[in-house]
Amino acid sequence: MSKQEKIEGALSRLQRDMPDVRAAIVASPDGLLIAERGAGDAATRLAAMAATSLGLGRRIAKTVNAGDLNEIVIRGSDGYLAVFAIGEKAVLALTLPEGGNLGLLRIEAETAVRDVLEEL
Amino acid sequence: MKGPALKIGVLGPYGAGKTTLVGTLSTTPVVSTEAPSSEGGKATTTVALDYGYLDLGSLGIHLFGTPGQPRFLDVLDVALQGALGALILVRADQPSQLPRARELRDYVTSVLGVPYLLGVTHMDKERRWEPREIALFMREPKERVLPVDPRDRDQAHRVLVRLVELACEEGGRCG
Repeated sequence: MSKQEKIEGALSRLQRDMPDVRAAIVASPDGLLIAERGAGDAATRLAAMAATSLGLGRRIAKTVNAGDLNEIVIRGSDGYLAVFAIGEKAVLALTLPEGGNLGLLRIEAETAVRDVLEEL
Repeated sequence: MKGPALKIGVLGPYGAGKTTLVGTLSTTPVVSTEAPSSEGGKATTTVALDYGYLDLGSLGIHLFGTPGQPRFLDVLDVALQGALGALILVRADQPSQLPRARELRDYVTSVLGVPYLLGVTHMDKERRWEPREIALFMREPKERVLPVDPRDRDQAHRVLVRLVELACEEGGRCG
């Protein structure tokens, strides 16, 4: 199984355990798509945006002395986008509809981050 | 900081020297967002923006550098909001990037609608296009295309001053 297939596998497992998650993507820190599940046409754009928010978030965290960045959560009227750092090597972005369980998402994301990190 | 303030966008293809230029001109610590680059040619690349500031006469100039790759189009929309002038950097030694430079020029004219200049970087390379050749390719008057070494404060300053003059003439927002 290729590296990409293994990462896709990790995303599929996350979606299986948490079917609310509509789009799941892994991108490089400079915004290139590595793997995705359910993101459709928006995948490459979402990959770039995930890297942008992570880059800016890191910078903001530093400015306010919040330390290393763990996550960014964007909440709109209809749902969430949550972005998680996968070490220094990649970024995980997940979308969740309004009313979704953000706490559970964090737990599932932690597992996925660990799984993906093993492959990078 | 002095007033009035003028926001200038810095655009250009990957590796043109945008981050370097903002760093050279800024008199305050630059806010930059670099990530390791997967595309080669350099170690890191901007993923959100580079922000720098300098005083120019009675004007406060806010510089907003942007990511060069097309996938960051959404960032351009956000970072360049309210810009009153744009500097588009183009490498003299990579003609393959000229179509991308043209896209960015079209973005500036159609979306931002502000005065702009083209700065030609990497002029120290042996195989290079001259600014007048780039002007021809871009269908720009040759006075709009100027050589600039983003590492050189005087050169960067000169191009910025010319752009600010244009922005002031056309925009009338310079007090």
